[in-house]
Amino acid sequence: MLRASATGHPPIAQYERIPWVTGADDGTRWRLKDRACEALIIGAGYAGLSAARELADAGVDVMVVEARDRVGGRVWTTTTPTGAVIDHGGQWIGPGQDLFQKLADECGASTFPTFTTGEGVEWRAGNRATYAGLIPTSDPGAAADGIEAIFELDLASGQVPLDAPWDAPEARALDEQTLGSWLSASVGSAGARDIVTAAVKSIFGTEPGELSLLFTLFYLRSGGGLMNLARTTNGAQERRFAGGAQQCARYLAEELGHRVLLSSPVTAVAYDDDGVVATVAAHRPEGDPEPITIRARRLIVAMPPALSVRLQWTPPLPGRRDQLCMRAPMGSMTKIHAVYERPFWREDGLNGQVVSDEGAVRVTFDDSPADASHGVLLGFVAGDECRALDGCTPAERGAAAVSDFTRYFGPQAAHPVEVVEQHWPAEPYTRGGPVAVFSPGLLTGFGPALRDPIGPVHWAGTETATQWCGYIDGALSSGVRAAGEVLAALGR
Amino acid sequence: MADRDEIFEAYADWRERCNENQRLRRMLRGWNRIVHLVATDTGDRFTVAIHDQTLAELADVAEAEADLIVTATSEDFADLFWGDLNPSEKYMSGEITLAGAQEDVMRLDAMSMVAFLDQ
Repeated sequence: MLRASATGHPPIAQYERIPWVTGADDGTRWRLKDRACEALIIGAGYAGLSAARELADAGVDVMVVEARDRVGGRVWTTTTPTGAVIDHGGQWIGPGQDLFQKLADECGASTFPTFTTGEGVEWRAGNRATYAGLIPTSDPGAAADGIEAIFELDLASGQVPLDAPWDAPEARALDEQTLGSWLSASVGSAGARDIVTAAVKSIFGTEPGELSLLFTLFYLRSGGGLMNLARTTNGAQERRFAGGAQQCARYLAEELGHRVLLSSPVTAVAYDDDGVVATVAAHRPEGDPEPITIRARRLIVAMPPALSVRLQWTPPLPGRRDQLCMRAPMGSMTKIHAVYERPFWREDGLNGQVVSDEGAVRVTFDDSPADASHGVLLGFVAGDECRALDGCTPAERGAAAVSDFTRYFGPQAAHPVEVVEQHWPAEPYTRGGPVAVFSPGLLTGFGPALRDPIGPVHWAGTETATQWCGYIDGALSSGVRAAGEVLAALGR
Repeated sequence: MADRDEIFEAYADWRERCNENQRLRRMLRGWNRIVHLVATDTGDRFTVAIHDQTLAELADVAEAEADLIVTATSEDFADLFWGDLNPSEKYMSGEITLAGAQEDVMRLDAMSMVAFLDQ
C-alpha cells in the first residue's frame, strides 16, 4: 500500500533506517534532523489520519505531526487499573455513519448495542420519576411539546444545504438567532424547553443561547436530525466498541508507521505559494523537545478551528479565516465514568439513562461492557455545569458526579470502585469538546472560509464536514475531502 | 395475538383521536404518505394513507408501494392503537421497526409519540 513518492523524496519507510536522533554526541546535546515531505498533516485525530491514508494510498510522501503522545484526538480510550475500558471522548457509532462503519469493519473492531433495556430516570424540580422510551413523560403535555419542538427543528433543518448553509432560505435571519432565543419565542412550555435543552447540551456541550440557530439546523441535518442524534437504538448512540472507539485510529496510525510523529506540537507555520515550513517542537527520546522544521508542498490542518489559530502563521492568515476561528469556540464538556462491581441499576429495571434539571451531571448512560462483568455509569457535565466545576480538582468533580449518580440510582451508586474523569476544557490540545460551537454570524459572515484553502494550506477536521459534522464519521470524511484537494493540487 | 378485526377496531379509535388532535394536524402539514403495517406474527398487512393532514381509514394492503413500512406484532399494533403502548419504548427496544426515508421515519416516530402522550 505504501509506495515510493513520484517526486524524488525517499518513501517515508526509508526514514526508519535514518536514526531520528542524529549527529555526533559531544556529550552535551543531540542534533535533530529537519525533514521534508510532499504533504504535511497537523493533527493525528480521525480527520488527519484519514487524510494521511488517502494520500499515502495515492503514493504521496506524507507526514503527520501530533502534539499529544497518542493518536485519536478527541477520541481516547484507556483501561483503568480494575480493567474497565473507558472512552473519554467520542465513543458511539450509529446508523448512517458509513465511513466509520467501513473502517471499523476493516480493522475488525467489534461493536455491541448500547444498553437500553428498562426505564430511564427523570429528575425534575426535586422529584424523581422513571419513564419508558426516548423522552421523560412525567408531564405528558411538556413531553408532547418537547417532541413537537424537536420535530419543528428537524423539519426546518431540511431546508439548510449541507455544503453551503449560508445559502439556506432566510439564512441571515436564522444566523442572527440562537437556539435559545428560538426556544424562548417558539416553545411555550418550560418543561419542553428543558427536554430540548438537555439533549442539546449533551450534543454540543454548550447552552442553547450560545448556538447560532442556522448552525444548529445545519448540524442537526448533517447528523440526520435531533431525534436521530438524541436516540440510542436507531440513532447516533446505538452501538459502542468493545475495545473502545480509539482503536480504529490506532489501526490507521500503525498502517502509517513512521509517517506519524507523536509528542511533536507544531508551533509555527510559514507559507507561500510554493509550500509550507512548519516549526515543530519535536519529541526526543531524552531531553527537552528540540525545534525542527518540516517542509512540505501542501499542508492539511486537522485541528479544531479555534486551536488552528494558536499556531504562529507567517504571513498572518487572512482576516476572514482568523475571524471565523474567533467565532468558533469549543464546547464545555467533562465526561465522568464511575465503575462499579456490577451494573446494579439494571436489577431495578433501569437502563442507566437520566434526564435531570439539577446537579453537575444531568445526562447519563450505561457504559458497562457487553458482558456486564462490571458496571459503568457515564455522566456528562456540559455547558454551565462544566464551567462551574472548572476550578475544582478531578477528585472534587468526581465526587460531585457520584453524588448525582446516588441521587438518580440510589445508595449503591455512592460506592464506586473507581471514578475516572476527563475535563476537556483543560486538555491542552483540544481545550473543550465535543465540538466547536458556531456563534451567530459565523456561517453567513465567514462560512466559506471554513474549507477554502489558503495557498498551500487546506483545512480538515469534523467541524468542516458536511455529513456527521461533529462526529467521528464527519472527521473521516473531512480528511478524505482535504486529501482530494491536495491530490488535485499536486496533479495526482 | 390480535386478529384483523381487533386491529381495524383499535385503529378506528386511534384515527379518530389523531384526526381531532390539533398538534398532530400541525405536524402532518405537507406530508402525504402511504404507510404499510406488517404484523410479524400473523402476517397480516394493512395500509394507512395520510393525506391533507388527515389519517384515512385502515385498508388491506393494495398494490401501491409504501413510503414507510412499520413492522410489529399484531398485539403491539392493537395496543399502540388503543393507546396502551408507548411506541417510543418499543422502537427503542427494536420490537417495532420503521423503514423508509430518514425524514419520513422521523415524522412517523414523532407523530406516534405525540399521539401516545396527547391522549
